[in-house]
Amino acid sequence: MSNLLTALTGYLGYRGREGHLAFLLHRITGLGTVLFLTVHILDTALVYFFPPLYADAIGVYRSTLFGIAEIALVFCVFYHGINGLRIAIFDLFSARSWNIPFSRTSVRLTLGITLILWLPATVIMLRNLLIYNFGLLGG
Amino acid sequence: MTTSSRPLTKPPRNYETIAWSWMRYSGFGLVILAIGHVILQDVIVGVHAIDLDYVAQRWSSIGWRIYDALLLALAFAHGMNGLRQVLNDFIHQPRWRSVLNWVLLIFWLVITTIGTIALIGGVRK
Repeated sequence: MSNLLTALTGYLGYRGREGHLAFLLHRITGLGTVLFLTVHILDTALVYFFPPLYADAIGVYRSTLFGIAEIALVFCVFYHGINGLRIAIFDLFSARSWNIPFSRTSVRLTLGITLILWLPATVIMLRNLLIYNFGLLGG
Repeated sequence: MTTSSRPLTKPPRNYETIAWSWMRYSGFGLVILAIGHVILQDVIVGVHAIDLDYVAQRWSSIGWRIYDALLLALAFAHGMNGLRQVLNDFIHQPRWRSVLNWVLLIFWLVITTIGTIALIGGVRK
């Protein structure tokens, strides 16, 4: 329990600006993605193990609540991927890039690229939700 | 600003350094595979167009099955090791870390096996 408190206090109390934000977002988006991934491997496996249940699983994913969660999930995958690419390139090929000024710049760039990918995707997914779940936009 | 406290000597190769490398190299693959998968399935196709027939049609192509096999292999092992890294922040005793490693290894094996069987078996109608 004290381990938990120490770690959580460290996560929240540390004031490391962009690098700290990148670290926290990387963990949260990674955990969110792996949680869904686990469920998603199992729901896809239904097509072989219990095909009649597959429609029910997809039915859950088509709900409005999950539609909104899906938009968050897509953010998680995009951010985790782009930030992970930054980490892997720095670690493997350019350890000198791990300095404070360039970390700040590169985190901002990472967030920018993530938003450029995610915002259009969000518009399309929201449009699908309005069409299929609310019967709007000629749906 | 170029001073660094990073050690100049690499640690000897062990399971932890292999896991460290794995996260980065699998990450390169996943940037393409996972982001590609999300853009295709969630954004372009959309969940409202996905059903058994869609999966059957998609998996009739060996190329997409290989794509999904790679995604399964890279993503879930990457995710389980990531979960292990996060939990290691909270679990410090070597004994409990060992328990955690085994639990996650078995969980990874079970879920990966289920996914692989379905991927090879395909859609049953």
